[in-house]
Amino acid sequence: MTDGRQPSGMSGADEGWAVVGTLFAGVVVWGGIGWLIDLWLDTTFVKAIGVLVGLATAIYLVVVKYGKAG
Amino acid sequence: MSASIVLASECPPNDPGFCAPSVLEFFPKPLATFDLFGVHFAITRITVILWIATAVMVWFFIAATRNMQLVPGKRQYFAESGYSIIRDGVAREVIGTEGLRFAPYLASLFFFIVINNIMGIIPFAQIPPTGRFAFPVVLATITYVLFNWVGIRQQGVGPYFKNNLFPAGVPKPLYLLVTPIEFASTFVFRPFTLSVRLFANMLAGHLLLAIFAAGTVYLFTVGNFSVIFAPVSFAMSVVMTFFELLVQVLQAYVFVVLTSAYIAGAMEEAH
Repeated sequence: MTDGRQPSGMSGADEGWAVVGTLFAGVVVWGGIGWLIDLWLDTTFVKAIGVLVGLATAIYLVVVKYGKAG
Repeated sequence: MSASIVLASECPPNDPGFCAPSVLEFFPKPLATFDLFGVHFAITRITVILWIATAVMVWFFIAATRNMQLVPGKRQYFAESGYSIIRDGVAREVIGTEGLRFAPYLASLFFFIVINNIMGIIPFAQIPPTGRFAFPVVLATITYVLFNWVGIRQQGVGPYFKNNLFPAGVPKPLYLLVTPIEFASTFVFRPFTLSVRLFANMLAGHLLLAIFAAGTVYLFTVGNFSVIFAPVSFAMSVVMTFFELLVQVLQAYVFVVLTSAYIAGAMEEAH
């Protein structure tokens, strides 16, 4: 396959859960990285930045992987 | 009979109040303990329930496949139907013809989980061993190793990780943001959610049933006007038993379907 698309056999419900999982993973991963940076630099706001960055990236990833072709 | 007898292991004696069942239900008194290579083992009634349930399931399938006839008898028919639900309905449906190779593992997984889940409503057992976190963790670990192994063997180590961690169609600089998310969602969250989903459903279901059952006994025996609520508690425990049966079978099925989907995903990229 030449793009990041999921296997064509995936049913709608499975895709839905994969989308939710990706969004959740994005928030948790980048929120977590932001939280760790907070602990390192002794700040308080980097968590929120991490969550927003993670959410934005996850939405982008969902569009790339599960969005309609062309 | 009072509620304190039902929950003898965790209720303070001579306490007139309602002693609600808690997570301690899953930590009963050990029947036998021993140490092996520095690891402490405790055999509890939950372990014995697991052994009996698994033995029953294994016996059933062995007995059903002995002397197989072309025109099946009842036991063989049930065993064949059960195996076919997983082999055709899940393995072939989700993975494709390649999936038939995994049908024995998927069927064993399904029947192991379903029989142990159902122990939650069988009288005298009434606790699902799959509600102890270790069992779903081990099952999810086996699935995790399996789908990664299949993916690596199908595509090679490099391409497998490349396909998983670096989805195509993403401009190169964004990989810095996207790859940790992909890594976490495939290699961290999958085994975690697989195990926690089964564990939490069984834990919660068992506690629900225990609360309604213990509550019914308490409300009947406490001796004041609260007794009018006892039939409500009893009705709820009956309803929840049926609901639990549904959840138990469903969670076993979901575990197996997700395992198949992960295997299918690991194999698909090779086209």
